[in-house]
Parts: sequence; C-alpha cells; structure tokens
Amino acid sequence: MKFKLIYPRWEKLEGQTIFNLPPHGPVVMAAAVPDHVEIDFTDENVEDLIIDDNVDFVGISMMLTTQVKRGWEIADQYRKLGKKVIFGGISTMLHAEETMMHADSVFLGEVEGRLDDVFADFGKNELKKIYNFLSKPPDMSLIGPANRNILKKDLYYHKGFRMVDLFHASRGCIYDCYPCAVRYLGGRGFRPRPIDKVVEELSQLDNNRLFIVDNSLALDTNWEKELFKAMIPLKKKWVSHTIEDKDEVLDLAAQAGAWYVYQAVFDTSDYIRNRIKQYHDYGIAVEGTILLGLDNQTEDDIKRLVDFLLEIDLDLAEFTVLAPFPHTKAYSDLLKQNRIFDKDWNHYNAGKVVYQPKHMSPERLTELYHYAWDTFYKDEPQTMKMFNLINKVMSKELSDGTYSPRRRDLANLSFGKQITDLV
Amino acid sequence: MEINPAFDKYMDHYFDYLGFWDSPSKCGLKLVKRKDGKTLAIATEIYRQNPGTPVTEVVAPLATQILKTSKEAPGNFIFIEHTPDLGSKLSFYGETFDMVEFEWDGENFSNPVWTRLSNEQVDGMMEGL
Repeated sequence: MKFKLIYPRWEKLEGQTIFNLPPHGPVVMAAAVPDHVEIDFTDENVEDLIIDDNVDFVGISMMLTTQVKRGWEIADQYRKLGKKVIFGGISTMLHAEETMMHADSVFLGEVEGRLDDVFADFGKNELKKIYNFLSKPPDMSLIGPANRNILKKDLYYHKGFRMVDLFHASRGCIYDCYPCAVRYLGGRGFRPRPIDKVVEELSQLDNNRLFIVDNSLALDTNWEKELFKAMIPLKKKWVSHTIEDKDEVLDLAAQAGAWYVYQAVFDTSDYIRNRIKQYHDYGIAVEGTILLGLDNQTEDDIKRLVDFLLEIDLDLAEFTVLAPFPHTKAYSDLLKQNRIFDKDWNHYNAGKVVYQPKHMSPERLTELYHYAWDTFYKDEPQTMKMFNLINKVMSKELSDGTYSPRRRDLANLSFGKQITDLV
Repeated sequence: MEINPAFDKYMDHYFDYLGFWDSPSKCGLKLVKRKDGKTLAIATEIYRQNPGTPVTEVVAPLATQILKTSKEAPGNFIFIEHTPDLGSKLSFYGETFDMVEFEWDGENFSNPVWTRLSNEQVDGMMEGL
C-alpha cells in the first residue's frame, strides 16, 4: 500500500531569516506506521507537491495553525480524486472540528501502538471519522526511534550547512502557561521517555546537531541529570528550551553538549539577568524568546524590555506577538472579552496582530514588534549573530573530533533550490 | 478529591462534565437558590485539577449540563464563570468572574456572551439582589 504523507507549506514571517528544519511530527508518525505500508513523504516547504491519483491513502501532518488552511486545500483536492485523507499532528488537534470538514478521518492524540488498527480499518474500508486518544497517552516505552528515512535529507541544507534534526526526550508539561496549548495536546503531566530509549535513538542519528523540542527539560531534576549524563559520551551538540538553573544541572548540560537554549524573557528583573549570566558562565549561549502584546505590557514596557535585552548580552532574540491559539488560556481570555477580531488562521503566525491589545492599537503593537526586531539587530544583524553561534559550536566540535565540514556539492543550494534562483 | 482551599468560597463540590471529544473534565460548582427563586450557578476553572477541557471552551454545553442537573428552567438560571486567584505574579492568573448569557433553543444553550463582574457584584448576586 502506498501512503502519501504530506507536511503542508506555510508562509514564513516577513523579514525573517528563512530556514527549514526537517519536521518532527511526520517522522514520529512514520515510525508507528505498519511495515507493509510504503511511505512517500513530501515536505511542501522544501519541494513541490504533485497531487495525482498514484497513491492509495493520504495523510496530512500539521504542526502550525498557519498550515491548516493549506492542509485543508490539499485534502479537498485529493478527495476530489476519490482518495481517502486522514489528518494528524498538533494543529489537527487544535483545529479538529474544522479539519473534520475536509477529512475522511482525523487522528487526535499520540500514535504509538495505534496505527496498525487505523491502517487495518482503511484496508477494510471502515475508516472511522475520529480516532480519539487525547486522554489516553501511550506507554512512553513504546516510543522508539523516529523514522527519519522518509526525509529527503539533502533538502535540509543551506549553502552546504546541514540544519539541526529535531528530537524529543519527553512529552507533556505540568504548567498552564498563558499562550501555550500543551495542557490540551499533551496532557497535564510530564512524561519523560526512558533514558535507554532516548540514547538508542540519539545513537542512530547521523546528525551531530540537534534541536531537543521538549516543552521544557526542567520538570524533573533527577531525570534531567540522568539524561545529560547519558548524553555525554554521544558528543551531540544541541539546542533546547529551558534547562534548570541549578549549577549541577547546567554543568552536566554543558558536558552533554548544550549549544544554546531558548529562554523566555518576560521582564527586566535581576532573575532574568542572572539566569542569562548563569548559562553563559557554563558556555551555553541563549536565544531570548520575547512575547509582545500581553495585557501587562505598555508601550514603555516594550521599549524598556528591548533596551534590557541589549544590556544582558543575549546571543539571539526572537520577538513574537501574542497569537491566541485555540485551547490556550490566552484564547479563552480574549474570547471572553470579545477582543479577537481576525479568525483567518493564516494570520496566526505570531507576527500579525489578530486581537485588540489592552494598552495600544493593533497597528501600534505591529510597529513596536518591528521596532523590537530592528533595534535589537541594529548593530549586529541576525545573520552575523547566528554566524557567531555557529562558530561556537564548530569550535566545540573541532575540539572533540565531531566536526563535519559543510557539503561542497550543496554549496550553491538553499533548501534544494539554486541560490541564484532565489535572488 | 479535596477542594482546594483557595477556591472554596465559590464552590461546594466538583462537577464532572464531558469536554472536547468527550474528554473527562472537571470544574468547581456552587449552586445558590436565591431569594427571588432563581438559581445561580458558579462554575470554577480548577486548572491543573481539571484533567480535560477548560470551562471557557465548552461553556455553553457545560451550562446546559448544569442546568439539566439543577432541574431549573432556563429563564430562571444565571450562570457565572469563575477563575480563581492562583497566587501567580502573572496578572493572567488573578481572580475573575464573568456572567455568561446564552441563547436557548429549547434543548441547549449556545452563543455565549461574557460580561466581567466584580467580586462585590457576585456576592450581591448570590443574595439575589
């Protein structure tokens, strides 16, 4: 059976450096597909999708809200050809009711141990409209290595430099953060993978640079320390979200190859200042993630925050405006106050203002969003700061013998396209 | 499950309801029979103690379930959504009350509209003022 798995394209943020990472959801899903199924994967962000009837069954995997409309469009075209379409992934769960109108089936929840039945149902022409496992997470020991063989790996290079591979060591989160939907998607508990399973998958990865996509590694100190200890011999270099700020944890993280971390910067406190310094003391770089447009931010607060970011010597900063994704507290609050004025999901890219901010107009918040990007990168552009970060990881790799030179044969390509064509 | 002491002024017990995709969900509930004969329902979001869908996201079907449990007539039913103070330094987790008004189609509530209330207004409404 030929299963066409598609990761729909989305429009990248205006003015931002474009880079495409190999997607994570599809490779995790592919690992749970029965062996007799042949998977043909297309990531529309790096290659064109040809829609024809040379497939038996179609799967659409969506992570972002900005992918859903394109995903629905693709599904509509396949269904006109008489093909059955199933949807899965994070934004399928966030937009399940709407997605059902474009689907023969939607899969909600996590796939491990569940897809044999789905494909058997398809084979019997008894596909269910919903496979709902949202409240039934699988046994974490069932999560084996993702199936990255479905990726066309040469498409994830820019000028011969390979992008990081995505990897996960845990699921779920104990927190109810204002803009986050993980409580709905991954349940309200922290579910770490067994360390031996994590090491098994890491050992098989042919990429030395990784992005550990877990919501937070800082939710179970003992597990976190055991994870880092087990990672040390593998000599991987990695990016992640928050790590605990205990010295013994940071020390182990640095030994395990922590390259840089994403750290939310939500105020100008000494807590944040010290936290950034602490990462730097262990040789771990920091990319600040700064959410603009919260109800406790005035115009002056935003300007002060940008000044503060320059003072604390962040290595990179990423600014976003609040996007009230469904199933978040932000969405609930703004919905109750009737402040969401734009329901075009293509605009939920965290760069467009889709709601009425409390202390300013939407237009003013948009101006401040651009002001933040422009001011932070005025003296040293984003590409230069990124180059500095890459130099840091290259130095580490050269010193421990893991450095791989860039691919000369791909030097004129950016994500599969000739660079001259992109100018 | 014990009632979180921080929540108990406006809840007497937990109420189980079905959230999105029939996910088992739970909120706090206080039902007050007022002097004017109307029933006031206060549904409290209990955050991490709620394993399923938040109150706001399914407020209309939740209010319908509570109405049917209370055996009250829709016209005599007042619904308030409560989010308790979680003691967070983030303002988003302060205490709020919203009266929610719905359309009634004979079977179910729909089209919720929220109106923010002060604590004093809620206390007054509990007395039937």
